[in-house]
Amino acid sequence: MLETLLERFRRHDRLALARLLSLVARGEQVEEILAGVGEPGSGAVSVPRGLARVVAVTGSGGVGKSTLIGKLIEPIRAQKQSVAVLACDPQSPLSGGALLGDRFRMPARPDDDGVFIRSLAAAGGYGALAEHLVDLIRLLEAFGFDVILIETVGAGQGDTVVRELVDVLVLLLQPETGDDLQWEKAGLLEVADVIVIHKADLPGAERVEAQVRAILALGTGSDVPVLRVSSRTGDGIPELWQTIAARPLRRRRQQSGRDLLRLAQQTLAARFAAAEAAGQSDLRQLLAAWQQGEISSAQAVSALVRFLANELET
Amino acid sequence: MTELHPLRVVLAKVGLDGHDRGIKIVARALRDAGMQVIYAGLWLTPEAVVRTVAEEDADWLGLSLLSGAHMTLVPRVLQLLREAGLEHVGVIVGGIIPENDIPKLLEMGVARVFGPGTPLPEIVSFLREHSGAGHA
Ligand SMILES: Nc1nc2c(ncn2[C@@H]2O[C@H](COP(=O)(O)OP(=O)(O)O)[C@@H](O)[C@H]2O)c(=O)[nH]1
Ligand SMILES: [Mg+2]
Repeated sequence: MLETLLERFRRHDRLALARLLSLVARGEQVEEILAGVGEPGSGAVSVPRGLARVVAVTGSGGVGKSTLIGKLIEPIRAQKQSVAVLACDPQSPLSGGALLGDRFRMPARPDDDGVFIRSLAAAGGYGALAEHLVDLIRLLEAFGFDVILIETVGAGQGDTVVRELVDVLVLLLQPETGDDLQWEKAGLLEVADVIVIHKADLPGAERVEAQVRAILALGTGSDVPVLRVSSRTGDGIPELWQTIAARPLRRRRQQSGRDLLRLAQQTLAARFAAAEAAGQSDLRQLLAAWQQGEISSAQAVSALVRFLANELET
Repeated sequence: MTELHPLRVVLAKVGLDGHDRGIKIVARALRDAGMQVIYAGLWLTPEAVVRTVAEEDADWLGLSLLSGAHMTLVPRVLQLLREAGLEHVGVIVGGIIPENDIPKLLEMGVARVFGPGTPLPEIVSFLREHSGAGHA
């Protein structure tokens, strides 16, 4: 069953991607899935195609996260980049059910295979979601998306966690009435890589921008870009994408060594499984020699690594 | 092997009707029954609905129609689902459907038609009872 799904995934089957996302979101068979999608040279999906640019969009409910993500899809597609959206909404703590209403704000593009939108129910607490987010991102990345946009469930402590999982964290604020400094107290400005004063078509946007800049100037974040954007009029959308696209890739910078090792492990494991299943004679002989004690484990390991490396190149 | 998982239900309005009160009430009832409800929106084309069902890995699709175009829109959606390899997704229809069209819709492959004023628990238990094993 899973093998068939993985096979279809590697052939770039979107239904297989959708089903694997469900499994990973529920924490089922995650190890097998991630190992199975990582195999290089199997057609459309190949490991060395590089990591995606992963962007999280956060901000309080109603600030316009879904609407803005829907708008960002346009400049991304105009650059011929493919994009996947993971839109998170909270799960009801009582029933375990969820009302996932984000994609309703995003334009339907039924003919465009370069766009994939998926709604997720975020279970209680951020930890659980974040744990699965890493794996969901890996899955989308293995499918070959150039950009992955994540709508968070709303601004809060969880953002510090999410920040470490993504390349660029975009914080949305909007012209407020009353308690303007709420977000400042939450320390949210500090975790943002890009700050957007959204709904800039509404009065008061300049004032919020001035406040944000004043606060940033006091701290260390004075080089964080601040942009006024309106999804309603479209003003600032292309500039916002340019800004996001110009940010350094945090994940690659921080994790490249570990990521590379993990990719290598998965790749070798998948190659091993394939060679074993095919009854590859070199591998059989190597195994037999080791099992009968003709060669040491150390010798067997280096022979195996050489064998699998050769398999990779052919 | 696979644990019980919540049903995923896409709710969509196709056609040119702007009222979404009914569909929102159903959406909340399904959520409160523990289901994951993807609200796909208004004025969707059949193509957009089927795309949503595919990406969301839905178990069910609930179509709401008040426009009177059900005899063209519903078969179109069913056909597109089949073409997309999504024949395993159950389809229910809600809205004002004339009595003698209901058997025709069922014949085409609709699992059930719910008229206006259907008690919400009836919809919930229908979905539960007619979903395959493995669902909560
Ligand atoms: N005036 C104005 N309203 C907007 C803008 N973007 C979104 N909205 C509205 O803000 C509300 C919430 O938007 P939504 O995208 O669902 O917010 P989310 O909860 O952060 O995902 C909706 O009613 C939108 O129509 C904007 O640029 N200007
Ligand atoms: Mg939203």
